[in-house]
Amino acid sequence: MDTSTINSKNIAYPPGGILLWIIIFLELFTFGAALVAMVLYSKDEPEIFHQSKLLLNTTFGAINTIFLLTSGFFMAKSVENFKENKIEKATFFLKLTMVGGVLFLLLKSVEYYFKLQAGLTIGYNTFFSFYWMLTLFHVIHVVVGLVILLFNYVGFKRKSTLNLEDFEASAAFWHMCDLIWLLLFPVIYLLF
Amino acid sequence: MRKNLLLIVWLVLIMLTICTALVSNSTLVTTVAVTFILVLAAIKFILVANYFMEMKKAHSFWKFSIIFYLIIVMGTLLFILK
Repeated sequence: MDTSTINSKNIAYPPGGILLWIIIFLELFTFGAALVAMVLYSKDEPEIFHQSKLLLNTTFGAINTIFLLTSGFFMAKSVENFKENKIEKATFFLKLTMVGGVLFLLLKSVEYYFKLQAGLTIGYNTFFSFYWMLTLFHVIHVVVGLVILLFNYVGFKRKSTLNLEDFEASAAFWHMCDLIWLLLFPVIYLLF
Repeated sequence: MRKNLLLIVWLVLIMLTICTALVSNSTLVTTVAVTFILVLAAIKFILVANYFMEMKKAHSFWKFSIIFYLIIVMGTLLFILK
């Protein structure tokens, strides 16, 4: 494994690589634009948005935020240990990172189950159209992130040629899921 | 110090999340509460980017881009909501 460091001060080498950061900004602007659109629509139907928001479980949202932030913390610890060539510890923290992601998905599934049971589907009203589209799109990112982390984990276990840039790129993608959720949670669950 | 720094950042993030939940549980969704919730979200965003994603060590262009993004998105949201 190549754990040599990269000079991140160079504009062309942000942690995770320039291509991934272009993707991260594209994703952030896409979600940002969708949230702005949601808030704009809420101006036309303020009562519907307020009543719909009350149908969401804020506690689930807050716990999921804690799951993702904790998972992000373990990811950062994993990268830190990888840089110090402590592969055993990096693997351990990577495993904890994935557990955090799985817990997020499990709680999200429970939340979706209750919504579907209550008939609050994507076509219920404008608020729930945004709720389903934005949160499901985010869930897809979390699933893709977990698959990427799983590949890294298998790479660690097989002691294959995993370099720091690849691992940092995987970590940056995972943290991007945190960043997106940090925008979605307050706007969807708390604002209206 | 570096090891403790990540832990401290994580603890701050958890505390800010709890603060956000407490503020939102207050029955009055005032402009002040909305602004407070969005500012806390922006702080959490910057903490994750700077410390977990190590953007603190990156070139100023990337740090500025993150701040620029937050100003655009949060500013637009606050402008519409006011």
